[in-house]
Amino acid sequence: MYKYILESAGNINWMALFALLTFMFVFIVSAILIFTKNKKTIQHISHLPLVNEEDLNIENRK
Amino acid sequence: MSNLETFKYDDKIVRNFAIATSLWGVVGMLVGLLAALQMVWPVLNFSAETSFGRIRPLHTNAVIFAFVGNGIFMGVYYSLQRLLKARMYSDFLSKFNFWGWQTIILLAAVSLPLGITSAHEYAELEWPIDILIALVWVAFGINMFGTILKRRESHLYVAIWFYIATWVTVTVLHIFNNLELPVSLVKSIPVFAGVQDALIQWWYGHNAVAFFLTTPYLGLMYYFLPKAANRPVYSYKLSIIHFWGLIFIYIWAGPHHLLYTSLPDWAQSLGTVFSIMLIAPSWGGMLNGLLTLRGAWDRVRQDPILKFMVVAISAYGMATLEGPLLSIKSINAISHYTDWTVAHVHVGTLGWNGMMTFGILYWIIPRLYNTKLHSVKMANAHFWIATLGTIFYVIPLYWAGWTQSLMWKQFEPDGLLTYGNFLETVTQIIPMYMLRALGGAIYVAGVFMMVYNLWKTTRKGKVSDPEVSAPPKEKIVSGKGEYWHKWIEKRPVQMLVAATVLVMIGGLVEIFPMIIIDKNVPKIESVTPYTPLELEGRDIYIAEGCLGCHSQMIRPFRSEAERYGDFSKSGEFIYDRPFLWGSKRTGPDIHRVGNKYPDSWHYNHMLDPNSMSPGSIMPAYPWLFKRKINTKYTAKKIRTLQILNTPYPENYADIAVKDLELQAKQITANLESQGIEQENLEDKQIIALIAYLQRLGTDATPQIFVEEK
Repeated sequence: MYKYILESAGNINWMALFALLTFMFVFIVSAILIFTKNKKTIQHISHLPLVNEEDLNIENRK
Repeated sequence: MSNLETFKYDDKIVRNFAIATSLWGVVGMLVGLLAALQMVWPVLNFSAETSFGRIRPLHTNAVIFAFVGNGIFMGVYYSLQRLLKARMYSDFLSKFNFWGWQTIILLAAVSLPLGITSAHEYAELEWPIDILIALVWVAFGINMFGTILKRRESHLYVAIWFYIATWVTVTVLHIFNNLELPVSLVKSIPVFAGVQDALIQWWYGHNAVAFFLTTPYLGLMYYFLPKAANRPVYSYKLSIIHFWGLIFIYIWAGPHHLLYTSLPDWAQSLGTVFSIMLIAPSWGGMLNGLLTLRGAWDRVRQDPILKFMVVAISAYGMATLEGPLLSIKSINAISHYTDWTVAHVHVGTLGWNGMMTFGILYWIIPRLYNTKLHSVKMANAHFWIATLGTIFYVIPLYWAGWTQSLMWKQFEPDGLLTYGNFLETVTQIIPMYMLRALGGAIYVAGVFMMVYNLWKTTRKGKVSDPEVSAPPKEKIVSGKGEYWHKWIEKRPVQMLVAATVLVMIGGLVEIFPMIIIDKNVPKIESVTPYTPLELEGRDIYIAEGCLGCHSQMIRPFRSEAERYGDFSKSGEFIYDRPFLWGSKRTGPDIHRVGNKYPDSWHYNHMLDPNSMSPGSIMPAYPWLFKRKINTKYTAKKIRTLQILNTPYPENYADIAVKDLELQAKQITANLESQGIEQENLEDKQIIALIAYLQRLGTDATPQIFVEEK
């Protein structure tokens, strides 16, 4: 039924396909990027919330 | 290091938002408590301005946009500066954001009780306020992106991704759902009608939950939970997958609010499928949150902040499992229009948003005031009170929802409804409403305790904007095979905006065919536009918030056809701007109430519902019998509707008021013949309302059926 209605609206199948492909593309690319990312980088990013003002100042003044 | 840059974080703005969060939390929840009590004791509907129909949107708007909204800004302004090692881009924009948002809240607090509403749930505010919301939201966006651009930390933490997705999506949703033509400063007519309006409203409504109550709070969870637990998130990789999965799938799930309605089947199925898929990313996020505490559970026993966060994340997990289940058609057939939905929503709001906000407040206030929390003991007590309040709130409502739904559907062996009188199914659950109000009262009491505790904390603290020094942003050095990674990290704003816009196509695929295909909404020849008097009556129905308790959508079930009449068809709503299907039946559906009762019944019922339905919890509407119908904008309404292709005759607007007066006289004469007499009755609002109610659902009803009655 969904396909049927889409067809009757003229050729807009590309929209559904485009949406699916976009999602797959973004999802796969982000998955690949995240899994191939350097361990150190991940560790660095995941520790970002734990940086306190005092730590930052002490660390930088060293 | 010679190239250190010294700067100060802007914590004043965070403090302001924190105070606003606490205050609006108290106000919004107290209004909710009033609404809960009104459902038990209708006498608490003191006046037009405080009647349930107007109070309910005030409660929802206050807790969503004032309490949670300020909570979002508080958390974002605190975490963004620290994650990016930069002060906010513009102090002016920060202040504009704060004062603009509080102005919007004040305008809402005034306009909603006055009955100024566009009837779209969670988007009730009228067009001038909508424009102000857009301005303030854009200012927030510029401030956020500006800060991202001048950051000193090259990597963007996942919380910021959630903030960006929130910003982009809320912008699009807000614009689409508020496309309307102004009639006056306080009244507008939406561009879409009937089914299309419903689809866009619930695409908005659902994503308001997704992108206002969920994604920004997930961002806050990813920042403040590691902060409070003093350990990084369990899996950063999982958080990225969580992000992309969630924002893409959420946008499609809106139609699950319209199952078994006149929405085409394909759209309903799409909503169901995507809702079920949502379990995966939602639970990915929940588990990521809970597993962050692995090895630190001993601290959860002592630390009230972690307690609040653990319960918040668990509530998020429960609500996001229950939501998809409620999207399954056979379950929705039972749950929809009942208190089950209200219970579900409050697991999310009291549990997830409320508890997370409390946790963050207890963490952030002592830090903003450079001191220790006044009383950890009291915070612990608040935790248990809040948990108890939530339980007392939701369990009675689950019970009420199931009970009432089963009563609605119960048949006798001879084929008649067991509870033919709708009111029986209401009086049955009043004790549950009492318990719910008790639960709400307990929860609010906890919030008062928190406000006291935090206030005492601020009294003994000192404020200062913390000074920090950090090196400027480094160039990212790419490792082996990391070329693309490097490229993307360099252009975070472009990448994220583009990706978010692309995934939004998901929402458009759903709505686009609905708008352009005529045959999706089968026309019914006998359905004609409303008369001017009915139009004015309809606007009174909207202003009084009748749709808060009465649906206008009979689902295709035997039990509903037996109780209310033939099921509703999409073609019946093509002139409904806005659509008024409602989402909750505290009273019966009234889509086919037209011609069901004499005019005098409505007159007496609106004056004193108990006179017609003893035991009814509907408030009385005495002001409708004193206030005059406002015909100042009638002609303009007709002209605006004509612009939107409503087929009124040419130049009809010029004689609309005359027509209105004529119909009002007829109804008044009708009432007189039924023994109702009142001075100057023909220009009172009640007449317009009766005209509208008597019209409801009659167009598609065969004439024979009406005559038989």
